[in-house]
Amino acid sequence: MITVSNARKQYGTFTALDDVSVEIPRGSLTALLGPSGSGKSTLLRSIAGLEGLDSGVVTIAGRDVTKEPPQRRGIGFVFQHYAAFKHMTVRDNVAFGLSIRKRPKAEIARKVDDLLEIVGLEGFQHRYPAQLSGGQRQRMALARALAVDPEVLLLDEPFGALDAKVRADLRTWLRRLHDEVHVTTVLVTHDQEEALDVSDRIAVLNRGRIEQVGDPVTLYDRPANDFVMGFLGSVATLGDQLVRPHDIVLTRDRAVALAEDAKVPGSPGVIEAVVERVVRLGFEVRVELRADSGERFAAQITRRDAFDLELHTGETVFARAAHRSSVIEIDPALAI
Amino acid sequence: MNTSATTRIGLRTIALGYLLVLIGLPIGVILYRTFEPGLATFYASISTPAAISALNLSLLIVGIVVPINVVFGVFTAIALVRWRFPGRGVLQAVVDLPFAVSPVVVGVALIMLWGAGGWFGAIEGTGFRVIFGLPGMVIATIFVTLPFVVREVEPVLHEIGEDQEQAASTLGASRWQTFWRITLPAIRWGLTYGVVLTVARALGEFGAVIMVSSGFPGVSQTLTLLVHARYIDDHNTYGAYAAATLLMGIALLVLLLMTVLDRKRSDR
Ligand SMILES: Nc1ncnc2c1ncn2[C@@H]1O[C@H](COP(=O)(O)OP(=O)(O)OP(=O)(O)O)[C@@H](O)[C@H]1O
Ligand SMILES: [Mg+2]
Repeated sequence: MITVSNARKQYGTFTALDDVSVEIPRGSLTALLGPSGSGKSTLLRSIAGLEGLDSGVVTIAGRDVTKEPPQRRGIGFVFQHYAAFKHMTVRDNVAFGLSIRKRPKAEIARKVDDLLEIVGLEGFQHRYPAQLSGGQRQRMALARALAVDPEVLLLDEPFGALDAKVRADLRTWLRRLHDEVHVTTVLVTHDQEEALDVSDRIAVLNRGRIEQVGDPVTLYDRPANDFVMGFLGSVATLGDQLVRPHDIVLTRDRAVALAEDAKVPGSPGVIEAVVERVVRLGFEVRVELRADSGERFAAQITRRDAFDLELHTGETVFARAAHRSSVIEIDPALAI
Repeated sequence: MNTSATTRIGLRTIALGYLLVLIGLPIGVILYRTFEPGLATFYASISTPAAISALNLSLLIVGIVVPINVVFGVFTAIALVRWRFPGRGVLQAVVDLPFAVSPVVVGVALIMLWGAGGWFGAIEGTGFRVIFGLPGMVIATIFVTLPFVVREVEPVLHEIGEDQEQAASTLGASRWQTFWRITLPAIRWGLTYGVVLTVARALGEFGAVIMVSSGFPGVSQTLTLLVHARYIDDHNTYGAYAAATLLMGIALLVLLLMTVLDRKRSDR
């Protein structure tokens, strides 16, 4: 388990971490999610000891490590740009932490073999990092971090430098690895899909503050505020509320729409809108609409519903929020 | 572009002629004059006690200067690239100073500082001679060769960044272990190149050294001073040629080494 309490970090007059407190449960895979510059790396590097906090306390596995250097925090760290030791073979890279710890040669050899197998680099042990692909390099970096049996594994956008396909593969692979190894893991990412996909908990950061912490389903369905809602998925403005486009129901008949809407407490009501464009995206159809008020929004409906509705540009429909959809009141202070 | 054959040949002739007159001819003349009377004469001239002593002194100075420059050069480069401290900008500028200041001025400055009546001149009273002794020549040589290691290592440190060093620290390596296992191997080609340049310059240094050396043959003459003394003071033209050839031979060896290392470096 990792706890961070009241962490503060200033760069000059700029506040990178503003009284951040967060708990990362033992054995979990927690994602630190937030836009660029929100302080994710700063928080992760403070946990690792690569960055010093101005104030606040960090504990790892019950031990106060706030004053400890990275060497004595029991961590494994994976950098976005691999940080491979270029002059060492894959084998020596992975063995580095163990050889620093002066473990017996036989033990190092055995452990490195095991790890190379786990990360699928058995045949590559005598290569140099320059002879590996990005994905292979990052798997080597993971093996290297895992070799020292870290208490916690810290990953700073580990797949950020890879292309989309490799990224998705590695993500799945990481999830499986975590299920096998069970080491407490913190993953920094600005990609909400990645966070929803691999992690069992997400902490959303914004401007150096934690906005919400919870499991992916809770965050997606019950976001604490419109920032979290907007960051975890697309949103549409319906009346004075925010709704997910796939939670918008379109009807031709005003009476039916009103009757259904009456069953949803706290709903944004029924909005009359004109169809501006219908975009077919394979399985889904995106309907771009303009409300009476002039506000533009988009609804995401299934192919079948679109077929039944027979929508055409210029026609009028009635939009409402579906049952049990996530709805957030727009904070007037934040509205532009 | 379509340059006529005559233009091309003309340009080539000018370029080659320029190099020949400015570099080829002087070297050629020295080599010709040196070997004209035969190898035995040449050998006799470079194996006089004064010549051997000059060679030894030059190599001794190189042997002292290089390790000092390596240690301080690497340390300074790391400080300049990795650390933030007040006065970093000043240090950055000071490192280049030896390139800008004429060696003769360096010599004069050293005399004013360490010579009798200088700021640190009192040290002479203790029997430790800086000016007109080996320490003076070493200090002068360090001064003129100081930038080489720093300026060769600095860009390499920049290029490799801090990631590898930080990764090593998260894996448990102390600063010292990180330096030996990660930083040093990463900068080794830049460092080698800096050392080679330092050696070449230290061997060839004349202006600063002549100011602070007593210049006694067989005692405090470096190879460059020997060439100078033989030619100007002794009117021993042949001896000057022979000593110059020896100096060139060593410099050539260093240059060759540098080229080989450079090739190795670009192979990686
Ligand atoms: N060494 C530094 N000096 C000054 N400001 C810094 C420094 N490091 C980070 N910052 C600032 O602190 C803020 C948070 O940086 P951080 O690297 O934690 O962001 P991040 O959430 O990881 O963003 P990204 O997704 O772009 O990596 C940024 O606005 C950045 O400009
Ligand atoms: Mg970052």
